[in-house]
Amino acid sequence: MSTENASASSVVEDSAAPGQATRLEQTNPDYDPNVVVETQNLTKIYRDFWGRQKVRALNALDLEVRKGEIFGLLGPNGSGKSTTIKLLLGLLFPTSGRALVFGKNATEVTKNERIGYLPEESYLYKFLTAEETLDFYGRLFDMPAAVRKERVESLIEQVGLTWAKRRQLKEYSKGMTRRIGLAQALINDPELILLDEPTSGLDPLGTREMKDMILKLRDQGKTIIMCSHLLADVQDVCDRIAVLYQGDLKELGRVDSLLQVSDETQIRAKNLPDAAAEEIRAVIAKHGGEVLSVDNPRTTLEELFLDIVRESQARPGHRSSGVDSN
Amino acid sequence: MVVERFPDFYQWIGPGALQFLGILIAASLLGLFIGYVVSVFRHGPFEAFYVVAQVIGEAVPDFLGLSFRRLVAIARLTAKEALRRRVLLVTFAIFAAMLLFGGWFLNSASEHPDRIYVNFVMWGTQMLVLLMGMLVSAFSLPEDIKNKTIYTVVTKPVRASEIVLGRIMGLGAVCTALLALMALISFFFVWRGLSHEHQIVGDTQTLASFVDVDQGTRKSRFTARRVSENAVMEAQTTRESGHSHRLELVEDIRDADSPPLVASNVVDSVELPGGRVKYRRIVCLPVGGHTHPVKVVGEGDDARIELGSSVGYFRARVPVYADSLRFRDREGNLKDRGTNVGNEWGYRGYVDGGSGAIRSSLARGLFRFSGFRESLFRRPDVVPLDLSLSVFRTYKANVEKRVMAGLEFESIPDNPEVDNRFVSDMITFETNEYTLQTLPIPRKVVGKLLAPDGAIVGQGEYDLFDDYAKNGNLMLNLSCRDSGQYLGVARADIYFRAGDTLYWLNFFKGYVGIWCQLMIIIAMGVAFSTFLNTPVTMLGIVVMAILGFYSQFVRDLTLPDSDGGGPIESFIRVITQQNMQVSLQTGVLTTLMEQADKLLVWLLAGLTYLAPDFSQLDFSSFLTYGYSVDPQRLIVALLITVAFISGLTILGYFALKTREIAK
Repeated sequence: MSTENASASSVVEDSAAPGQATRLEQTNPDYDPNVVVETQNLTKIYRDFWGRQKVRALNALDLEVRKGEIFGLLGPNGSGKSTTIKLLLGLLFPTSGRALVFGKNATEVTKNERIGYLPEESYLYKFLTAEETLDFYGRLFDMPAAVRKERVESLIEQVGLTWAKRRQLKEYSKGMTRRIGLAQALINDPELILLDEPTSGLDPLGTREMKDMILKLRDQGKTIIMCSHLLADVQDVCDRIAVLYQGDLKELGRVDSLLQVSDETQIRAKNLPDAAAEEIRAVIAKHGGEVLSVDNPRTTLEELFLDIVRESQARPGHRSSGVDSN
Repeated sequence: MVVERFPDFYQWIGPGALQFLGILIAASLLGLFIGYVVSVFRHGPFEAFYVVAQVIGEAVPDFLGLSFRRLVAIARLTAKEALRRRVLLVTFAIFAAMLLFGGWFLNSASEHPDRIYVNFVMWGTQMLVLLMGMLVSAFSLPEDIKNKTIYTVVTKPVRASEIVLGRIMGLGAVCTALLALMALISFFFVWRGLSHEHQIVGDTQTLASFVDVDQGTRKSRFTARRVSENAVMEAQTTRESGHSHRLELVEDIRDADSPPLVASNVVDSVELPGGRVKYRRIVCLPVGGHTHPVKVVGEGDDARIELGSSVGYFRARVPVYADSLRFRDREGNLKDRGTNVGNEWGYRGYVDGGSGAIRSSLARGLFRFSGFRESLFRRPDVVPLDLSLSVFRTYKANVEKRVMAGLEFESIPDNPEVDNRFVSDMITFETNEYTLQTLPIPRKVVGKLLAPDGAIVGQGEYDLFDDYAKNGNLMLNLSCRDSGQYLGVARADIYFRAGDTLYWLNFFKGYVGIWCQLMIIIAMGVAFSTFLNTPVTMLGIVVMAILGFYSQFVRDLTLPDSDGGGPIESFIRVITQQNMQVSLQTGVLTTLMEQADKLLVWLLAGLTYLAPDFSQLDFSSFLTYGYSVDPQRLIVALLITVAFISGLTILGYFALKTREIAK
């Protein structure tokens, strides 16, 4: 076990070793330790002062997030993603249904000892420095001073802000703020991390770093729930997704199986002569198939940008010729 | 004027605790009811029971699981946040301006400039810090919710109780620091404003500047007022801080073995036949509650006379009050109240001086002291007795001559039927009407020892502590020695002065009261802002503060025998233009209305106890009139503060816990 893990588990008294249920959870006979989050018929209706319904933000959501997976909540703005996250955190109370985290009611404060949360905007105290910020959140987890100090230093280094750790957050750029926001979400080495639009406002490089960090956390055995309306982000990192639209669950499943088009076959090859391509077309026609396209696959814009950045970092001063590659 | 004595701690704690318990139970029931009603709207009547029970069930572990580290973290953050806001800076700037320019308008030439100075700084500080406390607390949590920074706090294992209490602690810490600074500056402001020195008007600072007293009129050549009995010469000082003093050279003839206690003001002494000595001393007569120590350097007529800095302003007297005051009428019958002299009779009871026909009135004011021990007094050899007596004259008499009064000390035997008792001879003195006067009571008082049947057993000088108050109990009998006149006294009008405490310490003790008020206002602001927005929170605090400052008045309004009936009856009288004294027509409706009024008044009377009684937390009168703040009152004030902070923390906890932060 790493030092970080050791320190965090000493701090979070109520949390148990991975795979083990806490004393409280053991009293719940229905609790499955592999199910980290469970919602049952979860509904949220916003009402006005007089109790009249304004909007039905979430409608009878049934979900189960299992231990060690990255679960994506996908949907356009106003689809109920953030509402779901807030209900899981106890920031909102369900109108009906239940939200259970680690088998406990989402409004119970003790569950927060095992949770990390990165809000959509990094709602941090701008007058604090990065060090003070993490120290403050560490204190909220009742961490002893020595453990807190070690953890703060390690996280600041992990998110690459060592050079700016004594600057007030009001001087930080959006990307830096997101990084320190992620660091505060990880201060307690949580088992479950909830990320609300984690790549929002980040440049492509920052987005990639964030996604790499999410995958790394998953590899460390953490469970991650993220919500985003950026398809590429979800596609890249999520194991399973739920697609929400106007508060209703429209789709739920593994990303690879959801994106797989079972009645289409894509052929990708390298250094193939034109004659061979013609032969392949002929074979497809012989078996009654319809050729949609056989062409050179394109990389994504994000990939291209990252290649350029990597190239620029490897060969400083190199400039493009300015001639259209086509 | 004296400061009223408050029931001591042991008298207060029992009823106080019961009242607190009653309010707690009533507030809990009210809270449960409101919580259930709100829950019914959200979840329906059956689910509401479960929800309310769950919230209450979680409250116990939430309070037991309070973490000191989390509390300190939230308190520190809140303090930093508050310091960033300009409210504290602006408050201090206004305070500084108040002292810089306010000094111009303070009348140093008034009769009691010390009272004006102390009142000015205390009232100014109180208003400023309470306003500051209201602003910082009303903005603190709502700003955090508005900026959504609270999201990253409540999603950590932080209890709602920690958020509320941590905020109260943080805001309390910064406001306390500012209040302490203001108190320190105020102290130096008062000190500097009142300290002054005088010179003697004349060519020299010697007896050459003195003039002889007009022995014919015995009136001062400077002020045209009576001079002291033994004065032979007089002089005047320069005018400083709006006043000047008169100096008198008095001739003081004493036994050789009892020289004056203060020797520094003696000009010379001459031995007289019969073992007596005539001392010539210079005395500076007091003005506005202060005087200046006189120091004579050298001897004889050429001796240099120096006047020191003002003394008498900065007092913190420790009074020893009587436990009870009862009266005897002119026939000697025991009464709870003094003679009724009309409108003035009420607070004070009057002691009858008798009439021309009955010269020997038996009327007395009986002050019973218990726990009267030598250890209470700093200088038990001479015990100062302070009196503020009022006089009711039935005839004008000689206005120059003041009404005479008499004092007797009497022991209170444990077993009056068996034990002898000491009764002192009467000590007569001229009363200073309505003005504080001090009688030095020697430890040895001439009197008699009487057997239970009244027979004289002994006669001579008896010890005040070892004889008269041997068992700690002492009776002081006050009588009026002028027939046809009356002396008015209340229990707090006569007290023994045990000594003085340090003025600066007493000054800061006075600010503890303001601190208590400040902390309650902050706690209110934080608690209210858990469920109200900033403007409504401020309005709520203002209403509670007004109720706090005028709590007695508001409680009096809810007394059942108010003219014009309760709120409904009053309203009906207003709209039907009926006189308050006219009885309403009897009938079912009137009966219903009266019963509804009774219920409303009962509820309103109960609600007034939810607001703090700020008069119990106000020690400014102690400082203004130069009394030491009673430590028991300090304890009472601190307990009241703790009780309110606890109650408001619980209110804030439930309001925050049941609030949807992200809504």
